[in-house]
Amino acid sequence: MRDAVLTDMERLGALDDAEQTFQMNEDAFRLFYDSTARPLWLYLARLTRDDRLADDLLQESYYRFLRAAAAFDDDEHRKNYLFRIATNLVHDHRRQVRSGGVPAEPGDPVDTRVESAEGVARRLDLARAMDQLKPRERALLWLAYAQGWSHAEIAASLGVRTASMKALLHRARRRLAALLRAPRPSGGRS
Amino acid sequence: MTAECPREAEVVSAVLLRRWPQEVDEDLRAHAGTCEVCGEVAVVASLLHEDHEAARAEVRVPAAGQVWWRAAVRARLEAAQAAGRPITWVHGLATASTLGLAIAVAGIVWPSLRESIGWATGAVAGLDPSTRALLRLLADVVQRSLPLALAIAACLVLAPLALYFVLADDRKN
Repeated sequence: MRDAVLTDMERLGALDDAEQTFQMNEDAFRLFYDSTARPLWLYLARLTRDDRLADDLLQESYYRFLRAAAAFDDDEHRKNYLFRIATNLVHDHRRQVRSGGVPAEPGDPVDTRVESAEGVARRLDLARAMDQLKPRERALLWLAYAQGWSHAEIAASLGVRTASMKALLHRARRRLAALLRAPRPSGGRS
Repeated sequence: MTAECPREAEVVSAVLLRRWPQEVDEDLRAHAGTCEVCGEVAVVASLLHEDHEAARAEVRVPAAGQVWWRAAVRARLEAAQAAGRPITWVHGLATASTLGLAIAVAGIVWPSLRESIGWATGAVAGLDPSTRALLRLLADVVQRSLPLALAIAACLVLAPLALYFVLADDRKN
């Protein structure tokens, strides 16, 4: 079978069709994107430890979000839905890596270009400790303490019950605190 | 079991508002120094928020218009592929039907063809030697020109197909 390809004219036509195909128009999308893209990219980058993968998953998340046939109450609902898509994409990618379908790439190191030595050490320690957490624990902690989301928002984005959030967050926090207290493999911080 | 502290939310809020630890009440700071839960929350939340703030300044995401455009093109492409799928099915079905029909026709025609060949062989045997030599010559000519005839037939079938693919590639570029 031959692959379907688009001419330049068809590509231009795609922009006209998009208004009908997607669940929001371009202006509304721009507003929504500007308020969510950076937090979403950071979330993906922290979950995957891979900036390039975060770029790809960002595009994919917005594509699936735009194609979704869901009805949204407000922007909060939209944001939770978008993060839910992103979380599922990360899980899918991890499953593919485990099953050998996608090669695992080494995580990008923390970008430390303009930080103090102390700040760099703290962030590297955090990155090392976060790497040892389960993906869901990482997501929980990041959304709760880095992005400051409420339990209800996190529950909606991760697909867990709000009632379970306190216990899950507590457990994840305890694990991270214990990992941060543990000495570094190469000498370690006091 | 979940250890909880009613002041946990205050600590988180102070960290997220960048007020921790300098700009919070002495009372809250002292509490976090003695409460295991709040002390842990302060450490973990401070580190994660600091990491978030440092990373946020460096994040480079594509422009909204670019993401929209890529999504629009992909949606169009997927629609084109979806539209092409039934045609492919129809093509497959038509090919299978034609093949089946050809086999069925061959099955029906084969007995009468064999009968005709038998009759022709008998008729040729009954002819005089000069006519038989002429027929043998004709058969020889046909046999020699068979590859050429097959090649011409193949060209007649393949040329439109090749033309179709070349024009389709031009359209793609």
